Amino acid sequence: MNEEKRPGGLTALAVINFIFSGLYLFGLLGWIIIFLVIIGIIPTDQMNEIQKTQMEAFQELGIPVFIFILTLSLISSVLLLLSGIGYLKQKKFLGRNLGNLYAVIDIISSVISGIVLTAETGGGFTIMTMVGLIYPVLTLILLNTTFKEDLTN
Amino acid sequence: MNLKTINIAHVRLISLYWSRYAVRSGSGLVYLMIALVFGLSVAHIIIMPVERLMALQKKQIGQANPQLIRKTIIDIGQPIIQFVLGIKSFEQVAKEAASSHLPLPNDTSKSAQSGNNAAGFDPWTNFLLEKKPALLSAVFLILIFGMPFVISFLAFNQISGDVQNHGLRYLLLRTERGNIFFGRFIGTTFFSTAVMAIIVATITFYLGMKIRIYPASDLAIWAVQGFLALAILMVPYIAVCSLISASVNSPFLSLVLAKVAIAGVLLMAILGSFAWKPAKYILYALPWGWQNNLLHPAPAHWLGAVFASLAYTAFFLTLGYIRFETRDL
Repeated sequence: MNEEKRPGGLTALAVINFIFSGLYLFGLLGWIIIFLVIIGIIPTDQMNEIQKTQMEAFQELGIPVFIFILTLSLISSVLLLLSGIGYLKQKKFLGRNLGNLYAVIDIISSVISGIVLTAETGGGFTIMTMVGLIYPVLTLILLNTTFKEDLTN
Repeated sequence: MNLKTINIAHVRLISLYWSRYAVRSGSGLVYLMIALVFGLSVAHIIIMPVERLMALQKKQIGQANPQLIRKTIIDIGQPIIQFVLGIKSFEQVAKEAASSHLPLPNDTSKSAQSGNNAAGFDPWTNFLLEKKPALLSAVFLILIFGMPFVISFLAFNQISGDVQNHGLRYLLLRTERGNIFFGRFIGTTFFSTAVMAIIVATITFYLGMKIRIYPASDLAIWAVQGFLALAILMVPYIAVCSLISASVNSPFLSLVLAKVAIAGVLLMAILGSFAWKPAKYILYALPWGWQNNLLHPAPAHWLGAVFASLAYTAFFLTLGYIRFETRDL
């Protein structure tokens, strides 16, 4: 059986995917806590003025937008994990297709967050938006050029 | 060891291949991520207070005042830049900051508009803050300081990995050691230059399109100069990594030694100078001692810095070449 040697960059991409998947889950936890504050389960009495202003800004977003952002974050996290496994096994569907799907969803999610979210809620178009776009754009480029021939199992 | 074995066509082929496939290796990808995140994060830290100031002005007076914002940036940036460039010591800067009065963003009084610096800036600080876009100058100064620490993630594994896994012997059937050494060095430099171009272009584009307090032409010209300064600065550090990579068998050891060499020189000079003043000259073992001069207004200074870069590069590359040619693989 002739096994192709996995390039180091693909292994690095998989490891970064796993790390980001974990970070996304932490971020999701944060969004859930904010959601619980908005619907009144967690009180705001202990918060300072700045935090209360931020919570009010989140409240103005509306529940549907919130659920949309939460769903996209969850999907991105799952796709990161699955595609990371796909990179390690050099699978076409699990690695390349799901990796591309994650990148597209994350780019759309970043753009929507930048438009919909206000500055108080961490939105708007800033340099940090571009930092957030680095990895999905890089994934899209690398999966379809540099590592195209490596994800064929 | 024979320089006549160096074949330009082989060097060109190896360098093109190395730069094109840099990202296939884990080190290239990690360097790309770290460099982009570091560069854009630095820009964010510098630009974010200005964005907040603009938002505050819009709230208070209905629109942002670019002249007032530029003046505030200069007033705040002047002591910091003078400390970073070594023109004033930390004690002098702290003393001046404690005794000076900084105007508020919406302070339109005469004292604020006439300028608060009775002593006048030195030419270098004046050049970086007043003649050139100050925000971009601040970003470049931080990148000039920080990028040497990052470059080792790209350049540490030029030779050592192939030596460790015995892959070099297959290449040596087709070409000479010198071609591999110089080809990979040049390929690494190309890749590093491309990454610098992306970082500088992104930051400049953002400043031009979003912040809009500087004319586009000024931003573009200074961006090109800053990019060239950064690209030239990376070359001697890549040469140091080439020397280390050609000398050791393990990529991990190569990375550790590169980090120790680059950061160690700086640390030894700073800490050593507390106990013994002449220890500060250890900085000149690497470009640390003069690299800020790449952004100097006087041609004698920046040209000198460019030639110093080339001289350091030639020195380290020569040592690396001799070591690689003569060592047992």
